[in-house]
Amino acid sequence: MTRADFLARLKRGLVGLPTSTAADILNDYEAHFDDGKAAGRSEAEVADALGDPDRLARELKAEAGVKRWTQEQTPSAAAGAVFAVLGLGAIDIIILLPILMGVIGTLFGCFVAVIALFGSGLGVMVAGPFAGFPGGGLAAFFIGLGLMACAVTVGALLSIATILLVNGLIWFARLHYRLLKPALEPHAVNSTSGDPA
Amino acid sequence: MPETIEIQLKKGVLGLCVLALLKRGDSYAYEIASRLSDAIDMGEGTIYPLMRRMQSDGLVETYLVESSAGPSRKYYRLSEAGREALAVQTADWKTFTDAVDAVLNEAPLTPVPENTTGDVQ
Repeated sequence: MTRADFLARLKRGLVGLPTSTAADILNDYEAHFDDGKAAGRSEAEVADALGDPDRLARELKAEAGVKRWTQEQTPSAAAGAVFAVLGLGAIDIIILLPILMGVIGTLFGCFVAVIALFGSGLGVMVAGPFAGFPGGGLAAFFIGLGLMACAVTVGALLSIATILLVNGLIWFARLHYRLLKPALEPHAVNSTSGDPA
Repeated sequence: MPETIEIQLKKGVLGLCVLALLKRGDSYAYEIASRLSDAIDMGEGTIYPLMRRMQSDGLVETYLVESSAGPSRKYYRLSEAGREALAVQTADWKTFTDAVDAVLNEAPLTPVPENTTGDVQ
């Protein structure tokens, strides 16, 4: 494989990362080829020693996804980290995915319920006093406020649970990736049959 | 694909080796990769995901050094957390290898004591 082939495959594998991160990674590997050339090695030798670019891209993407998640705990960062980690193939998709879908579905349902509760609380608080709420306007105001407070509390607890879930998944995947998928491969494997995993 | 114990062992110590190398002096990725691929037979490309992970875990820091020829080069150095991790992992490694060595080098097991209850067939 030539330098251009290697970098092109790596770049294709990194699609989806922020452009600055992808450029940074590509710079690293370009410098590696430069250093290899300076040390008197051919492009093919360097590319061979580096390993499979598709696989490296998956690993780099997973690292970047996890890093973003540790910096900003947003839903999109969570989704990015989870999908990047799943992309490693470290997790037994067949077994884990149905469980994961169930958990995610339940969490999503709870979030929708919380939003609905908040909305109805708001409705009672604002509209209640004018709509002849049984017990009077003041009661409607406080019942509505109470419902909204409940919604906020449950929502906060759900967020914590979600964060713990994503962290747990990443921990599990990293652990198993290190254990199951050879981060190190004998060079022979790369030069013969491609990615054995 | 079953892994040999050798690959498992190498994989486990790769991070420790990088920390130990950087303790001796700041270095750049090509140098780290070529030294470790000589010492423990590994794919050189592996070093980049590992360095990024160690960087995001706060074990190493990077800085650029201007070079007279060509673009500036990215160097890695140990952070304070990296030094601590090295100390902990080195201690763990010594404990582990000592225990394995002890088992490997152990004298033959002492003969099983005679059965004193006389309950032999």
